[in-house]
Amino acid sequence: MTTTDAAPGKRRPRPLSPHLGIYKLTMTMAMSIAHRISGAALYVGVLLLAWFLIAASSDAATFGVFSAFIESFIGRLVLFVFTWALFHHLIGGIRHFIWDSGYGMDAPLRDQLAWATLIGGFALTIVVWAIGYAVR
Amino acid sequence: MADNPDDLRTALGQVRFLGSARNGTAEARLIHITSLALIPLTLYFVWLVLDLLHMDYNGARAELGHPFPTILLLAFILSGIVHMEVGMRSIIVDYIRGHARAWALVVNTCFAALLALACVYATLRIGFT
Repeated sequence: MTTTDAAPGKRRPRPLSPHLGIYKLTMTMAMSIAHRISGAALYVGVLLLAWFLIAASSDAATFGVFSAFIESFIGRLVLFVFTWALFHHLIGGIRHFIWDSGYGMDAPLRDQLAWATLIGGFALTIVVWAIGYAVR
Repeated sequence: MADNPDDLRTALGQVRFLGSARNGTAEARLIHITSLALIPLTLYFVWLVLDLLHMDYNGARAELGHPFPTILLLAFILSGIVHMEVGMRSIIVDYIRGHARAWALVVNTCFAALLALACVYATLRIGFT
């Protein structure tokens, strides 16, 4: 890290990924960046889990503040995006396990897996929210 | 890489210095182990949240305070936060260079550590008070 970055100006720095200006966008590329974006969203989203746990460990009044937020429109929207990011990233991770084991790299299957990630993420999110509204 | 019988070097000697000489495998291993653990733990977490939806504050607290949810929630939190710390590390080294990279890595680790402490403390407090 230090050796390649040490002398800016003396030689051209090595390129940073991804090379969006070099390659045409494919479905696997789109899902690759969606995996990163959903991962980054979950990184921030864990703050919501921390808030929930801290509020639950305090008292009913503190928890009421969290409850009021999560039941508001903005709160539901944030939770919906969190749910999608969670399932999209989960299925994306399973897709990576399939690829790591050496399967699904061929042309039709790798695109099918990428589409399955996209559709499966939304489908599971909608199913879980439907269950959530049903049991509530 | 297969062992070439005509090569006088050992199998190890043939492959040495061909790959990364740093600590990439440790990160890859951490990401894989935690992601494997997170598949069932995430499904349990979603089930737990759905189960808590119809409960009031006292009911949710009593439910979360049982040993089984507490232990699985701790496993979810710890593997999840290690996973996101290592994942963010790979995002940082891909897009940021120089001093900003070093600072971003420090902030990432500190943020993850604080978040883990807060979540673990709160989860244990629900169980023990």
